[in-house]
Amino acid sequence: MEIYHVQDVSFTFPLQERKALQNIQLKVHDGEFIIIGGKSGSGKSTLLRQLKPILTPHGKREGEIVFRGKPIGELDQRTQASEIGFVLQNPDNSMVTDKAWHELAFGLESLGLDQQTIRIRVAEMASFFGIQTWFHKPVTELSGGQKQLLNLASIMTMHPSVLLLDEPTSQLDPIAAADFVETLRKINQELGTTIIMTEHRLEEVLPVSDRFIVMDEGRIVVDDQPRKVGEALRLMNHPMFTAMPSPMQIYAGVTPESPYPVTVKEGRQWLDRYMAEKPIVRIEAAQFDDEITAIPLAAEPAVRFKDVWFKYEKNGPNIIKDLSFEVSGGQFYCLVGGNGTGKTTALSLASGLYQPFRGKVYIGGKNIGSMNARELYNNNLAYLPQNPQHLFVKKTVGQDLFDMLTHSSLSKEKRADKVQAVSEFLELQPLLTMHPYDLSGGEQQRAALAKVLLLEPSILLLDEPTKGLDSFFKDKLASYLKQLNADGVTIIMVSHDIEFCAKYADVCAMFFNGSITTSGPAKTFFAGNSFYTTAANRMARHVWSHAVTIEDVIAQCRNNG
Amino acid sequence: MQEQRVETRGYGRRTLVSAFLFLIVIPGTILFGVYALDDRKYYFISLLIILYTLLPFAMVFERRKPQARELMVIAVLTAIAVAGRAAFFMLPQFKPVVAIVIIAGVSFGPEAGFLVGATTGFVSNFFFGQGPWTPWQMFCFGIIGFIAGLLFRKGWLKANKRSLCIFGGVAAFFIYGGIINVGSLLMFTPSISREALLATYASGFWFDLIHAAATVIFLFVLSKPMLEKLERIKIKYGLIER
Amino acid sequence: MNQSGFAGYHPFINFVYFAAVLLFSMFFMHPFMQVIALVSASVYSILLRGRGAVRFQLALMLPLLLITAFINPAFNHAGVTILFYLKSGNPVTLESVLYGISSACMFVAVLLWFSCYNAVMTSDKFIYLFGKLIPAMSLILSMVLRLVPRYKDQIKQISYAQRSIGKDVTQGNWLQRARNGMTILSVMTTWALENAIETADSMKSRGYGLPGRTSYSLYRFDNRDKGFMALMLSLVTVVIIGGINGENSMRFFPSIKAAEMTAFSIAVYAAYLGLCMLPIIQHMMEAIKWRSITSRM
Repeated sequence: MEIYHVQDVSFTFPLQERKALQNIQLKVHDGEFIIIGGKSGSGKSTLLRQLKPILTPHGKREGEIVFRGKPIGELDQRTQASEIGFVLQNPDNSMVTDKAWHELAFGLESLGLDQQTIRIRVAEMASFFGIQTWFHKPVTELSGGQKQLLNLASIMTMHPSVLLLDEPTSQLDPIAAADFVETLRKINQELGTTIIMTEHRLEEVLPVSDRFIVMDEGRIVVDDQPRKVGEALRLMNHPMFTAMPSPMQIYAGVTPESPYPVTVKEGRQWLDRYMAEKPIVRIEAAQFDDEITAIPLAAEPAVRFKDVWFKYEKNGPNIIKDLSFEVSGGQFYCLVGGNGTGKTTALSLASGLYQPFRGKVYIGGKNIGSMNARELYNNNLAYLPQNPQHLFVKKTVGQDLFDMLTHSSLSKEKRADKVQAVSEFLELQPLLTMHPYDLSGGEQQRAALAKVLLLEPSILLLDEPTKGLDSFFKDKLASYLKQLNADGVTIIMVSHDIEFCAKYADVCAMFFNGSITTSGPAKTFFAGNSFYTTAANRMARHVWSHAVTIEDVIAQCRNNG
Repeated sequence: MQEQRVETRGYGRRTLVSAFLFLIVIPGTILFGVYALDDRKYYFISLLIILYTLLPFAMVFERRKPQARELMVIAVLTAIAVAGRAAFFMLPQFKPVVAIVIIAGVSFGPEAGFLVGATTGFVSNFFFGQGPWTPWQMFCFGIIGFIAGLLFRKGWLKANKRSLCIFGGVAAFFIYGGIINVGSLLMFTPSISREALLATYASGFWFDLIHAAATVIFLFVLSKPMLEKLERIKIKYGLIER
Repeated sequence: MNQSGFAGYHPFINFVYFAAVLLFSMFFMHPFMQVIALVSASVYSILLRGRGAVRFQLALMLPLLLITAFINPAFNHAGVTILFYLKSGNPVTLESVLYGISSACMFVAVLLWFSCYNAVMTSDKFIYLFGKLIPAMSLILSMVLRLVPRYKDQIKQISYAQRSIGKDVTQGNWLQRARNGMTILSVMTTWALENAIETADSMKSRGYGLPGRTSYSLYRFDNRDKGFMALMLSLVTVVIIGGINGENSMRFFPSIKAAEMTAFSIAVYAAYLGLCMLPIIQHMMEAIKWRSITSRM
């Protein structure tokens, strides 16, 4: 049965000339699992919000959307609330009440169901999602993954026939994200609920989906099965292709045939078939090491941890245990590892926000404990917090940048020059008059980076800077960071984003249980791991263990072809 | 148009309820108190009167079936005030609550001001402990927010620093201090004598002065940016007054 | 969530119980009644919150107690038994001194009952009780309780973020610090307001605002609750009848006169003792039962 029929829909935001959506044609059938992809600002969220009228932003719409044979505008509030579920991007913002059980019941209360019905539905959903163990908990005590799961469950209690999700995993770590996708698959398979979701991170979700729609500049570019979409994008030479799963990109880089592989498993199988015909040349890791140019070590490392121990409370557990490592000047150093291993704490120690209770942290050879704020944060350290919004204090981006210089002794012209320079570097000029909160996630990240760069740091500390960014913004961010690196700025980054680290970092270190277990030059590091590594490496490691990025694998295939 | 109509009907109902309260219920309570309760009559009469004043606000608000965004604004402002009260826990009496309540009243009107104030008084005691002081605090914060909103509507209170600071100082010292001191006196004395009242005010003088000073300082620094932010939210999302 | 003992009963029972004991301990100034209230409230408070917490609270209350006891005779000169004269020429009377002490005891009992109330009547229960009566307000309550811990956490994060760009509440002179502190509050406000819009969307998306909203709760009024309620209400009735007959009162002025001891008055005091001790008795019986069950296992 047809659920949605979107007929030639265009949409324009108020006071804007450009159409955010242009002539969208779309049919959605019962039980489909559809992913919508595209750059930030390509209109995918706008399209998703058209499908639930109560969340549709103000603006002018042309064309018609039909829901189950009726124009969507005629849908009454009650049907709309219960039939069309919508999961928002930020799990923290979606939660209304203070307890998990109340959150589950919230929608049912709105629908005016009686006590007994609510009791049954809540119990069912709590069991289906495995929420029983934290059913009574205050929502603030839940982890990010649990929060998003709770949001999903609190919508599923209303028994919607369609589930719309707006980048639901962008705020989650990879493991929680994979769990979430698995739950979606279960809902789709076992309950038959239709799912339409926008997403940047395609690696996990494409294999379980039926259709992948790519949007660009408010139009639908491709709409087909995931593997066919890959092929089509490749043929169009569309930039979205770089966001597709690694096996697909590698495959396309080597052979023009179809069908394209989607999962690592399919990629491996193809690679085996491909290599079977070729004389195999296995390159040993040692041989490969020579190719990596040794980074010249400065006399004094930029940051040095020596036997550092740390805990938040006197009687609390140790968060950092006997941590020692060095980062030399001009290096791009990445700390990777699971949640709660202490990597963010380590970054806070490096930034001087906390003091170790045993051991020492040196910045440029000086003990961080003996430095005052002026020494630490002027031309020395800069810390970009995970949420860039925490840095904005003014009404416009421009004012916010100038605010950083209020206490400097520079003349007015000099200040203007500096702001000018940094906004040019990060391409912020068109945004200077805007309110920081009106920017997109990636733009906010850039504006915040500009703020900290005005302190002219020699060491830049980043806490998960790629969280929630699409692949284009990531590439852009990487290019800025590389440029800073080239200018001699040391960068230490904490991240879950393995692909990003593998591609751009000089050195990677694995954090586990309060300390670093292994570290090394990025490629050797990931080549040495067997599970905690890039998708490209997982696909090809049985042939070339050191091939870490997509480009590496393609190059190896070509060399052997 | 729709909202306008509901609004006027709401005010009408409130007038009716207030009239009923002032003419019948409050005198009745006083009479009942004087004849039926001996020692604790003053405390109970005052407590009941406070509850009566809270009642019409709650009733009108509930009847109006407030929309999600409206609830959200009140919840957010209340939570900021409570978190602010908690953030300054180490400085007794140096609290931003009155300042935030005044800003809420000025920006969103007397009703919202009252609700933010009263809810702050109530909810913050979930963190600090409920006690016999809870209704008094609810009433004081609430009425300050209400008066701020009302004076602003009448044009007597301007949305500038000087005007707000003066009002804030006066409200914190005379309205809050004035009422809370009576409340604590009534808790444990059978009758109000002039001397006892004066002694209570004298003992509370420095606390009230710090409270007033804190309110002035907070308003001096926060009023402008806060009011701007609230205006922005109102325009960006078409909140409440439209 | 504390669900054992008396707190495990239906919220309505918890609420009625505390309303009754609070009102009674404020009204009934008879020495017996006061002693009963004071002892029961202390024991229950210790049971709920531990000896240390209650001792700490009593230590805090002591100065207040003394002030209360002394402030009354200083301003209240009624009574016939004159002890001595103040400099101002006003007499200090035995009656007013005793009244001061009695008021102080009453005040302490009220505070102790409130400390029990705070431990038993969690916000969940309050929201449930008033969810039907004032649905919008109790939803606001729930929302605020969800937001406050979140905001406290944000304040911490924002202050770290600001500190790492050199704007620190712990650095600089007094004025700078205060200014940076206010900046943090200001950043928090923007952040809170902007993010709240999405929460409002989430409410609308789940049908908030539809007519006929119900309120769900985890609580059920079961047979155990009915039994407890009947017992509690009968005790309350006896105490109120006693109160109407003046058995629970004490006259202080002009001269002290307490109600006489009669068979009826003893019954009233016993009922009051039973009422005040009800949660403690319940707690003890549960403990005994548990022990006997485990010993048989």
